[in-house]
Formats: sequence, structure tokens, C-alpha cells
Amino acid sequence: MGCEFNRRDLIRIGAGAVLAAPAALAHVNGPKFFTPAEFALLDELTEIIIPTDEHSPGARAAKVAAYIDTRVAEAFEARERDDWRQGLKLVEELSQKMNGRGFLESTPDERVALLQHMARNEMHPKAPEEVFFRTLKHATARAYYTSKIGIHQEMEYKGNVMLQEFVGYEVK
Amino acid sequence: MSLEVDYNKTYDAIVVGSGAAGGMAAHVLTSHGAEVLLLEAGKRLDINRELRSMEWPYDHPRRGDMPPDSHALSGREYTIRQPPYAKGSKYKHVYSYVEDGNGSDYAKDIVVDEKDHPYTGTQYAWVRARCLGGKTNIWGRLALRLSDYDFKAASRDGYGEDWPISYADIEPYYDKVDRYLGISGHKENLPYLPDGIFQRAVRLNPAEALLRESLQKSGRVLTPYRAGVTTDGLAHNKYRSRCYGRGACDRRVGGCDIHAAFDSPTGLIFPAMETGKLTLRPNATVHEVTVDKATGKASGVSFVDTETGTTYTVKGRSVLLAASTLESARLMLLSKSSQHPNGIGNSSGHVGHNFCEHIMGPGAYGLVKDLVGKPRTLDDGRPGSFYLARFRNLTDRNPNFIRGYGFEGGSGCGMFPDNAYGTPGFGSAYKKTVRDYAGAFIGMGGFGEMLARYENYVDLDPQVKDRWGVPVLRFHIKFGDNERKMAADMAATAGEMLHEAGIQVLSKSSELLTEGYSIHELGTSRMGTDPKKSVVNQFQQAHDVKNLLVVDGSTHVSASCQNPTWTIMALCWRSCDHLAEELKRGNV
Repeated sequence: MGCEFNRRDLIRIGAGAVLAAPAALAHVNGPKFFTPAEFALLDELTEIIIPTDEHSPGARAAKVAAYIDTRVAEAFEARERDDWRQGLKLVEELSQKMNGRGFLESTPDERVALLQHMARNEMHPKAPEEVFFRTLKHATARAYYTSKIGIHQEMEYKGNVMLQEFVGYEVK
Repeated sequence: MSLEVDYNKTYDAIVVGSGAAGGMAAHVLTSHGAEVLLLEAGKRLDINRELRSMEWPYDHPRRGDMPPDSHALSGREYTIRQPPYAKGSKYKHVYSYVEDGNGSDYAKDIVVDEKDHPYTGTQYAWVRARCLGGKTNIWGRLALRLSDYDFKAASRDGYGEDWPISYADIEPYYDKVDRYLGISGHKENLPYLPDGIFQRAVRLNPAEALLRESLQKSGRVLTPYRAGVTTDGLAHNKYRSRCYGRGACDRRVGGCDIHAAFDSPTGLIFPAMETGKLTLRPNATVHEVTVDKATGKASGVSFVDTETGTTYTVKGRSVLLAASTLESARLMLLSKSSQHPNGIGNSSGHVGHNFCEHIMGPGAYGLVKDLVGKPRTLDDGRPGSFYLARFRNLTDRNPNFIRGYGFEGGSGCGMFPDNAYGTPGFGSAYKKTVRDYAGAFIGMGGFGEMLARYENYVDLDPQVKDRWGVPVLRFHIKFGDNERKMAADMAATAGEMLHEAGIQVLSKSSELLTEGYSIHELGTSRMGTDPKKSVVNQFQQAHDVKNLLVVDGSTHVSASCQNPTWTIMALCWRSCDHLAEELKRGNV
């Protein structure tokens, strides 16, 4: 699965970008912690949270799932790995319950509806799937907005360049 | 360039600590021709390899985070646990809160590992940097002067003690520090926040300019961040570049690898080494100031090599403590002898007492609606954004509290959109909201004066020792009523000022962060004229021991609300000029 995943991304965002990203290189041999099925699910969830749209490529192109996998694999607390595995299992169970089939077999509308359900108490999560949504979204946002795509294409960040003069209003 | 330590020689001066004060002492004394031995407890790091301020997050395997076996204490941990904070921790390394978020890989070697350096007592967020240059490697760069509103505060409101100096005494030394190290700022002609000799000021972005203009109606002053940063360059210093706006100044815990921001090694120590008069010895943890049995004067220091555990003794005609406010007090208390049974320089019993610092935490956060959806701007890489000067208890008298506070704040587009976590939802709409709002927020947090009180003190823990077997500090430090009332006012006025400028207030807080958070600890060996109520005189010489000087923040009589680094260096310069004269005259 890992090879297939990388080939797909090579086509999507160009070989140069993938080769330049250490997290991507680390995934040549497939995910480090998640099973191929879990990884495919995680990859799709991150892409729904931050999708490719007319403004910029999304989480999949930015290899968000690969970065999360790397960090979860090396997490100090085993509980963190358990929480992720449990969370993904919850999504599958919820999908069976709501749609009668697995998440990746569901229609795009069904997938979004399921995430809306998980996100319904985002600011004060209580149910396990609500808590997992927070974890998932936080990790997705962190990975995406620190990625090359997130910083340069999505946020159009202009800093970290040499300036002869500061930008802004000169106080008189 | 660094000379080997000569254990048979008597150095003119032994300086303990290589931060702002120790570096300044080395610079000034060597410039007078004195032979100086500078002892630093930590390593000499290859600092540019640590900081890597221009590295993109995606070029770092953990996007800037520390390795998984390391842990950075969270703000909450300081409130629910008691020190020592690393006790019983499963992590291999534990660092202070300053390694924010998941812990910064860029500063983990700069601050101490709490596992090696425990302390006990009341809750306290004690941030220590044991390496060449100390905390100046990652300081916040705000470089402010004190005024007679601070030096003579006791005469103004009846609380505490005046300093034994006035602004006129220290002004020429602030000027020297400005010229030698470089400072960026804009002249405002405020008697309570004196101007320096400023280089090119940072610029304000639209939200900050809006707030500055609005505040002018009430006579309050928001000024471009007064940064201890050379923005025009320093012709006399080959180790430092002018600022070219590319740093991670506010994105990380600090640190400038082009050394536009002042740090003690490039600003003071390396130039001092070129005089051929300075010997630098890192990995030297001083645990005792030794005493001449015949005269009771300081004869040198004993230190343990942190790598080998071997103990050495070196001799000096004078000893200058610059180990930081709390470490210098610890060292004085550790230095017990028949002549100085309470610790050297401590016949008054005031060493470790009269502690003061800044309160931190209260502030407000708002949204400038007109900026929502506007194109990206370049607001990052400035050495700072703005400083809002004190306005309380200058001409008026607040009924609830004495002394004052100022705010640090900023606005604009950073590298990471902080609103990404708090913006609800997902999908394209979420992306757009994060993008549209990311540059439209403005925030400010207060720094207020904590009153010096005798009851706030540190002493030695009778049981607990650090990794090298040296007794650790025990804290007895708590904010009081004046601090809490000030905090409430800080939050209220921060909200009002934003609102007044047409900025939507999203949140405000009056909650005080744990003692220690400001990293502005001061006052454990205060200066004064009365040897019964103070530890050192106006030239930072111990009343009891004329050849022992304490040249760091320990000697500050009151905290004021201005950040202390520039005052520490100006005072140290003045004292070292005096010491050099006294050494020449044979008076010490």
C-alpha cells in the first residue's frame, strides 16, 4: 500500500516536492505505526478536514497523515498510540452504524455527515468520537499549517526573507 | 583565544556567570586592563547550530518539536504540582515552560534539564539557561530604561525603599550600553520611560498603528518595541550583523543567530577576549566564595567541573557574582565561614530576601474587523512589535494598588495561523475562515511591578541537592494583594483600550501566571546605604566584604515594571568602572 500511496502523490504534487519532504521520504516503506487500512482512513479524514480546493492543495497533498503516523509511532506514551487506534476504530464503527458500510466505502456526502456528527461539540467534546475529532483536527491543522503547502500556498506566508527595511508604518 | 586557567595566579577579578551581567563585567574590567577569569556553569554551545532561526518547520523532522523522550512543563503543571517539577517524571529530560507547546528543539540545550537542577518550596516557574551567555541567548529583547519614578518610588508612595542612586547617576551608563550594544526604538520624550540612543525603529502594522492613534487621545503611548537589537549595525563589533527582519524572534522562544539581537557572547565576551586579558572557563559550577581567614575578604572561588566532577579553587583580588538573581543568592548562602556564618555578605540577614519580579498573564485579545479577508502582509521577523508604556500612578493615585504596569503586544500575519485550533468546523469553509482571519487579531499582555517584600525569599533546602551535590534553593515566594488588584486593573484597561480603538474584544484575562513566569527575578541582595537593611552599596559592593560585588539583578531595590536587562548592564558597567579605580588604588 505504501508504494502505491507514494506513487499517487508523486503524480499529484510532483516528484520534487515529495523528495524534499523528510516525512514523505520516511514513508517509502509504508506507514510506521498505522496499518495500511488505518492509514488510508486517516489520510481520507485529514483530507476532508483540510481539502484541496480552488485556493490550494489540501492535507493529502501536504502528507499530513504521513507526518501524524511518524509522530504517533514515536510517541513517548503508549496511550497516545492506543487513542489513535481506538479513534479510527470508532470512526469505522460509527460509519457502519450510520451508513451500513465502512467509511471509505461511503459516499462523499455520508463521510462529511459523519464528520459533522463527530464535530458537533467541538469546543466542549464529551463522547469518545467527539474527543477523537479534536485530537484529529488539532494534529491535522498542526501538520498542514507547518507544511510547505500550508505555509506557502495556503497561507501565502511572506516572511523569513531578508529585508532591507521593516514593513509597515514608520512612527513619526 | 581563550587562555588556560592558571590556578597559581591571583586574577584581578573572578566573574561568576556569563549572561548580561557577567559579560558586561568582563567587557568593562578588561577594557580597564584588569586580568579577568570568567566562570560559566554551563557549556560553550555552538549557538548557531542550536538556533537555526531561518529553518522552515517542514525541514525539521518534528516541525521544531523536541524528541519524544523530552518534556516541556506546561503552564498548568506549575499550578497543580509542587516543585521539584521533574521529580518522578518518566521523561528522560524535563525542561521549563519556556519551551512552549510540544517543547522547542531549538532551545532545549540552552535551558537546564530540571532533572539535574531541582528546587523546592512554593510553586515557581524558574527558567535557567546554563550555557555561555545564559538567558541572553533567548531573551525577549525588550530594552527599557528605569527613571526616577522607579528609583525614588518609595518617596513617591511611601512603600519600601528608594534606590541609593537616581536616574542622573545611571543615565551616562545607559548611554554607554546603547552605543556599545545597539538599541532600536522611537523617541517619545516620556519622563517615566526615558529615551535611549536609538537606531532604526521597527514599524507598526495597521492594527498596531490604529491602537497607537486611538491611545493618543488619552495621553497613553504605544511605541515601537524598544529592542536590544542593532538595526543599523555596529561598526566596532565584527560578531554581530544588523537586523534584516528574518528571525524567528517571536515564533520561537527567541534567539538570534545573526546576533543582531544582543547576546552576551557576541556582544561582550568575544570582543573582551581580544584584549588578551580574559580567561573563559565553561563547565565550572561555582559552589563557594572562599574567604581569607585573616581579613575576612573574598579570596577566590571553588568550582566543580560539571563534566569530570573535579573541584578546583581559583584566586582573585575581587569576586563578582553574576550568576542570576537566584543563583547568586544561593552562592552567597552556600559560602558560610567562621567570618560569615550566615553566608558571605549576609550580616544583615537580607540575602535571599526582598525578592521582586514582574507579574504576567493579564491582558486582552481582539479582532480588527476591517482586516478580515485582507491580503497577506509581512509582519513576521521584526525583533518585536509594540510596547505600551505605563500610565498608572504617575500623576494620579489609583485607589486599589500602587506602582504600575506596561504591555507588550502585537498583531499581524505570523508563520502559523494561531486561530487554526480555535476555528470550529472543517472543509473548505474552515480553511477560508482560518486564512481570512489569521492576520486580523491583536493581543497584548501586561508586565506589572511586584512589590519587594522581606517575606518573599529563598533559602537553602536542608536536604535536597542538585546533580553535583550542591544544596538547592527552597522558595518562599507568593504574589500578594497589590499584585492581584493590579492584575484586575490590567485586564480591565487592556479590554477598554482595545474597545476604545474600535477593536472587538474577544477575550481578556486577569489570571496571574505562576510566580517566576516573567523570568525577571530581582532583588535578593538589594543595594542601599544602610548595611542593616541592604546587602550591597550603590557600587554593588557587599557592605561586609568590599572585594565582593553582586552585579546582576539581585541588587535591584524594586522591580519597576520595565524589563530589567538594560538596567542590569548599565549598573554593572558603573560598578565595574568604580571597581577598576578601586583596584588601581589598592582599596579592595
